Amino acid sequence: MLVQKNSYMYEMIRTELTDAIGAEYVCTGDDDRLGHSIDYYWIPEMWHDRGMETPKPDFIVRPGSAEDVAKVMKIANQYRIPVTPWGGGSGSQGGALPVYEGIILDMKRMNKIVKIDKTALTVTCQTGIIARHLEWQCNKQGVSTMHLPASIACATIGGFLAHRGTGVLSTKYGKIEDMVMSLEVVTPSGEIIRTLPVPRHASGPDLTMLFLGSEGTLGVITEVTLKIHPMPEAREFRAYVFPDFHTAMSAGAELMRSRLQPCAMRLYDETETLTYVSKVFGKTLDKGAYLVFGFDGRKDIVDLQMKYARQIMEDQFHGEDYGSQGGMDWWKNKYKFFYPGFMFHMPQAFGTLDTVATFSNIENVYWGMKNVVRENFPQARFIGHFSHWYEWGCMLYARFIFEEKDVPKDPREAAALYNRVWDLAIRAAIANGGVINEHHGVGLKLGRFMKDLYGSAMPVLEGIKKQLDPNNIMNPGKMGFKGI
Amino acid sequence: MNIDNCLEAVKNCRFCFMCRHLSAVGNVTFTEADTPRIRAAVAYGVLMHPEWLSNPEYIDMFYRADLSRNCAHHCVNHYDENALVIAARTDIVEKGFAPAAVKALRDELVSSESWQTAGSGDVLYFIDPYTAEAKIDGVFEAVMKKAGKKYATVRGGCIGRALKVLGFADDAKQALEKFAAVVRGTGAKTLVVSNPAAYEMLKNDAPKMGVELSVTVMHTSEYFLTLKLSAAKAAGKLYYLESDYLRNYNDLPFPHELLKKIGAEEQHFGADRDWLGVPDQQESFTCGEGAVVLPKLYPDLVKKLAAYIEKQADDPAADRIVTASPYTKLCLTKYTSLKVETLEEAVLKAL
Repeated sequence: MLVQKNSYMYEMIRTELTDAIGAEYVCTGDDDRLGHSIDYYWIPEMWHDRGMETPKPDFIVRPGSAEDVAKVMKIANQYRIPVTPWGGGSGSQGGALPVYEGIILDMKRMNKIVKIDKTALTVTCQTGIIARHLEWQCNKQGVSTMHLPASIACATIGGFLAHRGTGVLSTKYGKIEDMVMSLEVVTPSGEIIRTLPVPRHASGPDLTMLFLGSEGTLGVITEVTLKIHPMPEAREFRAYVFPDFHTAMSAGAELMRSRLQPCAMRLYDETETLTYVSKVFGKTLDKGAYLVFGFDGRKDIVDLQMKYARQIMEDQFHGEDYGSQGGMDWWKNKYKFFYPGFMFHMPQAFGTLDTVATFSNIENVYWGMKNVVRENFPQARFIGHFSHWYEWGCMLYARFIFEEKDVPKDPREAAALYNRVWDLAIRAAIANGGVINEHHGVGLKLGRFMKDLYGSAMPVLEGIKKQLDPNNIMNPGKMGFKGI
Repeated sequence: MNIDNCLEAVKNCRFCFMCRHLSAVGNVTFTEADTPRIRAAVAYGVLMHPEWLSNPEYIDMFYRADLSRNCAHHCVNHYDENALVIAARTDIVEKGFAPAAVKALRDELVSSESWQTAGSGDVLYFIDPYTAEAKIDGVFEAVMKKAGKKYATVRGGCIGRALKVLGFADDAKQALEKFAAVVRGTGAKTLVVSNPAAYEMLKNDAPKMGVELSVTVMHTSEYFLTLKLSAAKAAGKLYYLESDYLRNYNDLPFPHELLKKIGAEEQHFGADRDWLGVPDQQESFTCGEGAVVLPKLYPDLVKKLAAYIEKQADDPAADRIVTASPYTKLCLTKYTSLKVETLEEAVLKAL
């Protein structure tokens, strides 16, 4: 921060924040400061693991309304204090880390459901609500957001909006940006604005989309109206194992080209099928690539879609049928993959090379990244699955893993090794037509690749940032924007 | 240090978010520090930097934990972050860093001992302070009368669970040993308790501490199932609040079996679901039952926990809510307008 903690200016700023939103909601405790210094990004985890000091905010502020947020913005502008919005803190890209200290705007107090509209099938809520809590309340009313990511237990709706998150049912129901009707946003200057109430219009460019994925660099999303859906009458899954991932990918792509409408599809490469999937399911899948997909909705339509999907899998690509039980194994265990003991964990070094590409490019992206990791880091494992499928392509959830013995003890050396993997793998992905990334966001981790990715369009993004946030208070140093 | 015995939780919980939606205290304070993730991260920090243990803000964080243990119950690997918090508190006490309020509470608990027994029989009913305050002993007596059963009673102090969760392990053991001597002296064969925290101490902590009670310990829900009781009228629709101790610590089926026996039609309290979307009370709606004495140290926090529970009710003014915990009944009665009764009261009404 720009002022020292033991200075009277620090106390003056604290007084202003306290006066603005209440003493109970302005925190400076070491426990909470530590809590906001580590997210789900490997670097701060490793830093903490090695006993190093993690960057901490000076103030943690918990607004209760858009008006509270606006007041904080004005104070922050007055004193040129960085403001970093924080939802659940479960981001994997370091997007919510207070790398320049300042104010953490912890949004979780803004957790109210404003309205569930069963006529339009929409829900309006504040963005600090934990996604699982929102989903529970919707379920109680017989509806669902259909946004069911692995981070549903911990991430807030605001976090998903800020990072363009996605859930396991994305293939049918879309990513979060497909679910949004409209937003309320507090701009960096403290204005409260609303985007247009519906997402389909011809009234100029779409401001909603400007703020989605902006990771708290362009403002704070304080309220959202999302589409919701009736609970499906039926949801059925089926799994197949193919001799290799290429055949499985061809089958999956054909299913998407058929324009049948699966709600979810996952394809695990041979290595991940053998190791990870087998471990989670508690049964050995010792050959080939595991592909699972499902349909939901009216039972008769689900059955009909499944019939045609089976023809593709069995008649065209000769997949070995693991049946509906093989598919339900995945659905029932879909979150188990992310618990310690199943998920990769410190002291391992690991990262998710989340990339999205068309079906024409996706295998090249996979091999491009896999080869570069194998050639440069022979001690690392590389596994991958393909987890969000669209009419035109899919997302590659590739991961590299270093075992403890291969990770330098020195934290700086460990960080250098880690970043080197990203440098090579991500550039290989971009060279093969991949886009970084599909749903984790950019944050601190991938900011340095934004110029590679956007090329001559990057100054356009930078111009928007400068216009909205002339004092650069909003989450500086993230998403490839300049720091302090 | 005691937290060295909880390394599995330290290492696995410190970067894990999978149970954060269930953190009862975190859901009302909205504080990152009030989640298993950060408590474990601080515990890891203590291992790296022992001076962290004297930080009053970290100490406060450990003491305001609700110890519901629903995180471990929910976790696919059942990592016991709860035990880690108790271990951290024990380290804080042993190093002399216990806050003044905690030390004063310890003194109050230790000096409260004045064991008295009454009556005779194979069955001994333990009337702990919460059971007495909620007047459940009188309800128990009425049920036993209808069942035609005689029993003895023991009352008069802390058996050690509160001391244990505060981090006073030696005091806890001493308190339990004194109580055990009283119990053995009665010659009872079965010890029945209404307070789930007492059940945990007597059923699980006692053997771990090497304290011999020489009786079978039963919660009233289990014991009532052994009686020849017939419901005169079906209990009907009600909401049952799971007990931290009976569900998350012990996974006892007896409360639900008992409710079924008296003709209750259980309604799902709250909105929580399991991973497959099936209604399942995963949140802790107990006002911090696991922490036993939370209202003594953090009354405002307990008030918030109670308000959170009230907000979950379908119809706060009309819903009939049943709990196995006299503690929970006392807190909800004090801080909300909910109509709460204990299992014993529900049974008596049905007879």
